[in-house]
Parts: sequence; structure tokens; C-alpha cells
Amino acid sequence: MFTISQLFNYIQSDLGNIITYTIEHAQLVGLAILIAIIIGVPLGIYLTTNEELAETILQIASIFITIPSIALFGIMIPILSNIGQGIGFLPALIALVLYSQLPIIRNTYTAINNVDPNIRDAAKGIGMTNFQRLIKVEIPIGMPLIMAGVRTATVLNIGIGAIAAFIGSGGLGVLINSGISRGNTNMVMTGAIFVSILALIADFLLKWIQKKATPKGIQ
Amino acid sequence: MIEFQNVSKVYQGDVKAIDDINMTVNDGEFVILLGPSGCGKTTLLRMVNVLESITEGDIRVQGKSSKELNPIELRRNIGYVIQSNGLFPNMTIEDNTMIVPDLLGWDRKKKRNRFNYLMDLVGLNPDDYRKRFPHELSGGQQQRIGVIRAMASDPPVMLMDEPFGALDPIIRHRIQDEFLAIQQEVKKTILFVSHDIDEAIRMGDRIALIREGKIMQYDTPTEILTHPKNEFVSEFVGQDRVLKSMSLYSVQDLVDAFNLESSKQEVADTKMIHSDTSLRVAISMLLNQEADQIVIVDQQDNQLGSLTLNLIEKFLHREVKGKER
Amino acid sequence: MNAKKTLATTTKIILWLLVIVFFWWALSNHMFSKIVEQPAQFISLLETHLKLVSISAGIAILTSIPLGILITRPKFRKFEWLIVNTANLGQTIPSLAILALAMGFLGIGIKAAIVALYIYSLLPILQNTIAGLDSVNPATKDAAKGMGLTSTQILFRVELPSAAYSILAGVRTAVVLNIGTAALAYLIGGGGLGVWIFTGIQLFDNSFLISGAVPVTLLAVIVDLLFRGLQLLLVPKGLRLARKAAIDSV
Ligand SMILES: Nc1ncnc2c1ncn2[C@@H]1O[C@H](COP(=O)(O)OP(=O)(O)O)[C@@H](O)[C@H]1O
Ligand SMILES: [Mg+2]
Repeated sequence: MFTISQLFNYIQSDLGNIITYTIEHAQLVGLAILIAIIIGVPLGIYLTTNEELAETILQIASIFITIPSIALFGIMIPILSNIGQGIGFLPALIALVLYSQLPIIRNTYTAINNVDPNIRDAAKGIGMTNFQRLIKVEIPIGMPLIMAGVRTATVLNIGIGAIAAFIGSGGLGVLINSGISRGNTNMVMTGAIFVSILALIADFLLKWIQKKATPKGIQ
Repeated sequence: MIEFQNVSKVYQGDVKAIDDINMTVNDGEFVILLGPSGCGKTTLLRMVNVLESITEGDIRVQGKSSKELNPIELRRNIGYVIQSNGLFPNMTIEDNTMIVPDLLGWDRKKKRNRFNYLMDLVGLNPDDYRKRFPHELSGGQQQRIGVIRAMASDPPVMLMDEPFGALDPIIRHRIQDEFLAIQQEVKKTILFVSHDIDEAIRMGDRIALIREGKIMQYDTPTEILTHPKNEFVSEFVGQDRVLKSMSLYSVQDLVDAFNLESSKQEVADTKMIHSDTSLRVAISMLLNQEADQIVIVDQQDNQLGSLTLNLIEKFLHREVKGKER
Repeated sequence: MNAKKTLATTTKIILWLLVIVFFWWALSNHMFSKIVEQPAQFISLLETHLKLVSISAGIAILTSIPLGILITRPKFRKFEWLIVNTANLGQTIPSLAILALAMGFLGIGIKAAIVALYIYSLLPILQNTIAGLDSVNPATKDAAKGMGLTSTQILFRVELPSAAYSILAGVRTAVVLNIGTAALAYLIGGGGLGVWIFTGIQLFDNSFLISGAVPVTLLAVIVDLLFRGLQLLLVPKGLRLARKAAIDSV
């Protein structure tokens, strides 16, 4: 059990570490999201040209995302330990990138697919190439939905990133992990609170960006 | 019978939607509430089945004040049809149609018979549609189901809020005719909201023309067309009201008005027109065929006289423009 | 056209091959040995796991659906935004954090685990119940009211059947997330299949890892598929048509 004042005392005394863990956490999630966007957005766009594959990929991704993260780690450790990377940053990063794929691919695919066919026709009509149409018309119009996918993925990843601490990825989950093994409730609570705040801030920030990214005309 | 007695409605925020309305809809009468958008038609209609509360005054349906009755019971005895049909997407056509009979505890056989009867009435094969769902039907079919659903428990009174408003003109026209034929058979007391003067003229026994919550004129279509009570009415009816009114008269009315008698002259090559044709058709025949006169005949092909543009003009002067109250 | 189809089929085949290769590899390296050697232990862990999930998700279903119904009634509508926003906010909080917080307040043990899982399951169901009930066409409700259906009749005959798809989707999400989160319950003394996974991590023992992780994965995936089937089975056909019509018209 804990008291508020003890909690504050702990946070004050260990602030340096807490900040380090927070930064570590943000770095892991940030890098994972960046890679996920680089893979997922082009893939989502490509899938709009291949309905068969889109159905397959979205189906696979939606089954994959139901796999509990701790179970995925449990499966990945034996596999990746074949290349000497069973625990640590890399398996965590791979897992986070994989979990981000469904929200990012699905939202990109839907965003581009949902662009009003009339608008698309108009763009064709004034002589835009496919690529110009994509860059100048379809992506800007689909931006809010794509960003919503990125937001979902980020919030999800912050949570999974906390669990990844158990396989040695660092981050705020370390506080929860060590707190539990040392029986230090204040440490556990601090980890829980900071990781929640991180998720809430990310959610809020990305919602704001999502709003900013929405073209004025379709707000 | 529906009686409105000094009925007023004030919405929250001091919007006076209905302002002291008095009117009576007689048994078996088809009354249209007509007026521009926002004039209070829907509000007035929804006060009858207490979907909106009555701020002042009283509405009596079949002699009973809605204040005396439990709203649920009252509504089950009043059919209600809305523009966007409001069919339940989760129920089959038969379940949709038979919802009120079901609530009233009818047995299966009675419900089935009633469903079959009503479907026949609107020209849909009961067995083809029984197990289908609303989304498998066209807009016109959905609206027909909406209408017969309201008639399911055979309520004496029906309220209809622009029931055909969302349909395209050709289908709308067909359903209007269909519904008029049904009304000939069932003789319901109907209150029907419309913002379309042509629909009102075609369908209504009487029209209540409403403006800003007040009744401007409550009369038969003929009277509204021929004797608009004030500027608003004549403007709403339109510049072409004389033309519109011509579809209300038949050649026979003209024959009666002038006591025409057959001249019995045998003119070869003349066109003939049946006496039950509307004047609107008659005038276009005269103009299209460049004939000076057409012979009027009855059902048995007896000649009743001859029709000229001149005669029609005289008739219109007398009936539409000239007659003083 | 055909090349596209081939690509899709190839992707599917490769994926199945990977799954088969994985199982072949895991089996030939005796990674499921814990299940074979200690079947009683396995059954007991599985039982605890299912107990955690069914109790917490069961209570969550029984509380959040009525709460969602209540909050969408005219009397309580004014609180809807509050509940919806709280539910949205609550769902950004990571599962591990909720478990940790529950431990902070309630200490170690199965009770704390059930409370945490309960809270975690509550929100998706509540959110989907409200969204489902809100999406019922107002004209449909108006027509029902105008024909003399009582509010209870409208709720059970029109609103709940119409919201069934959304509510079931919420239940599915909640239960599947719950199965995964229950694997973390070990951390606060809740037991379940997570025991073997965490033991495997601590001992770096592949057979503990696989014997714990694969059953949890299969449990989540199978339950997800079962609920999808249930959605097809329980949702009135007319509504599926309505949804399809709505999607087609976009
Ligand atoms: N629920 C309501 N609250 C406040 N004002 C309303 C409400 N419903 C209708 N009104 C107002 O009452 C007037 C009449 O509306 P309505 O009866 O719907 O008109 P109509 O059916 O003739 O188009 C309008 O000014 C409308 O804005
Ligand atoms: Mg209206």
C-alpha cells in the first residue's frame, strides 16, 4: 500500500531516473512509429490498387493484433535468440512495429479509398498523373484518418512498450518491473502514473496534430 | 373525428409554433395541412398523437381529449406515417407491418390474414415480401409498407407527415393515386401534411393552409383555388391558379352550368370529347387540334352540345373569377 | 488482374507456411514440453486464466450494457458526454498501468487482478453500447413512439437489436484484450498462464515461454473468431443488410 506523500517523496528522490526512463520510452515508441509509418502508409496506399491483397493483409493484421503482447514476446524470444537477440531493444522494436501495422495500414487504405470519386475524376480531368493526384489530392484529403491511425498505434505502443520492459527494452516499465520485484509500491505506482500520463499526452498531442493536418476546407 | 380547440404550442425558447388553431376534421374526411416549411404543420400533426405536448387548448380525437387518455393507448388507435418511413431495419416486412397488432395480442392467423389483405391493397405480393427486410425494398415499396403498417390495426384516424415527399415525381404520383383508391375503400379520417399545392389539390377533401402557426384558409381545394381569402393564399396557390382549378372541373360541370342542349346538327369530321374529361384536358385539345369546337358526348355517346374556347372562358369567369361570396 | 490475385494467395500461403514451420520447429525442439510433462499444472493455470477473464468480463458486461442503456435515456442524456469522454480517456491508459494501479490500491492477489481486468473491460463495452444506441435512426424511434410502443418496447424491439452489432463488437474487444491482460495478472499475484511466460523470461527457458505463450495466443485468436461468428449469428439479417447498404452508398 502507499500514501500520496510517500509517492511524492519517491518521485522527488528518483526524478533523474524517472526522466531517463520516460525519454527511453518515448524513443522506443517514436522509432517504432516512424518505421511503422514508413512501411504502413505506402503499403496502405498500394493496397487500394489490389483489393484481393488488401483483404488478405487486413485479415491477417486483424488476427495478429489480437495476439496478447506478452504472449508475442514469449514466442519471439525463442525465435530471435537464434540470432542472439532474444531480449532487449530489438525484439521490443519489432513487436511495436508489427502491432502498429493494423491501425496504420487500415486507416491509410480506408482514407485513400474513401476519397470522393468525383474529386478523383476532377483531378484526372485536369490532367494530373496518378502520382500527382496521390500527393496533391488523395493524401491531403485522407490525412485526418491516416493521422488517427498513427494516434491509435502510438497509444497502443506506449502500453506495449511498458510491457516490453520485462524483456529488457528499458523505459517506464522498468519502474513497474523493479518495483514489483523489490516490493516497492511507490515505484510501481510511479511507473503506472508516468506511463499513463505519457499515453494521455501523446493522445492529446496527436489529436491536436490531426486537427492541424486537416485541410481547412474539410474541417 | 379530430377537433382542434384553441390549440397553441410554444416551444422552449419562446418559439410560438402554433397559434390558437380551431378546426375540425370530420369522420372519413381527408384533410391536408398545407404551408411553407417551418409554418408548424408537423408540430400540429404531432400534437394529435401527443408526440408534442399541447401548450394551450385541447385536441379531441373521436370525442376524447388526449388529456384523458394514456398516450400509448391513444397512439395505438391512430396510424402514423412519416416521410423517412421509419421502418425497423431489424424486422422483416411482415414483422414491421404487424408490430401494432402484435402488441395488441392478435393471434398468428389474424395477423397473417391482415398482412395479406394490406399487401394486396398496395399491390405487393405478400409471399414475395413477407420475409424480406426493409433494405431489400425500393424507396416506393418502403413507403407503401410504411403506409400499411400505420393501417395495420385498422385505426379510424391516420396522421401522415409528408409521406411521399422523398419519392421521385413519377413514383409519387402513382402512390398518390393508389392511396386515393385505398381511401375510397377504407374511408379513414386523415390528417396529411404537405408543402406541395398540387399534391394537396389532388388528394384533399379539404385543405388547411397554414402560415406562421395560424390557419389562413380552411376550405375545399376548389374554394381555395377559386376564392383565396387573402393575398397569402393566392400567392401560395400561385399565378396559375386558374389553370390549376381547371383540373378540378369536368366538361360536365360546364354542361350543367350553361344548361347546354344538343344542337343535334350532324357535323362531319368534328372531334368528340367525353363529358367526364377535365377542363384542363379539354382546353389543350381545343388548342392542339386547332378545332373551333368539339362535340361533347356522354358515356352512351349521346351528344350533349359543343364546346368552344369561348364557352370555357365564360365558364371560368363565372366560376373562378366572378362568383362573389 | 490475375497477378494481383496470385500475390494475395502467395501471401496467404507464406503466412500459413510460417505458422507451420514455427509449430514444427517448436515441437521438434520440445518447446511444448511443459504442457506434456505437467498437464495438471497446465490445466490449473488455464483454469485460473479463464476464471480471471470470465469473472471480470462477465461483471463488466453486466454493468456496462445497463449503464450504457441508462446513459442514453432522455433523463440522463446530459451526462452522456461526460461518460463518453471518460471512457475515451480511460482507454488510453495502458493495461499494465491499470494492473499496477490496482495493486497500489488493493495489494497483491487475485482480487486486485479481477478488479483491474474488470475496469479495463468496462470501457470498450460501455463505449460501444452508447455508440450503438446513439446510431439508431431517430426517425425509426419516432415512428415506433408514434405507433404507441412504450419506451421499454422501443428499447427491446428496436434499439437493442439495432445496437447489437456494435455492442457485440465491444464485448469482443473487451474479452480479447482481457485475455491478454490476464496474462499479466501474474505480476500482481493473479496467476494464470502468464506464470509460465514470466517464468520463461526470468529463467530464459524456451519451453516455459512457448508452453505459456502459445496457449494464450490461441485462446485470444479463437475467442476473437468465436465472437465474430456470434456477431454474424446474433445480429439480425436486416441490420447486416442495412450496414451493407450504408457502406455501399459511401
Ligand atoms: N423541438 C423543437 N424545439 C423548438 N422549436 C421547434 C421544435 N420543432 C419545431 N420547432 C419550430 O417550430 C416551427 C414549426 O416547425 P414544424 O412544425 O416542424 O414546421 P413544418 O413541419 O411546417 O415545416 C419552426 O419554427 C421550428 O423551428
Ligand atoms: Mg414538417
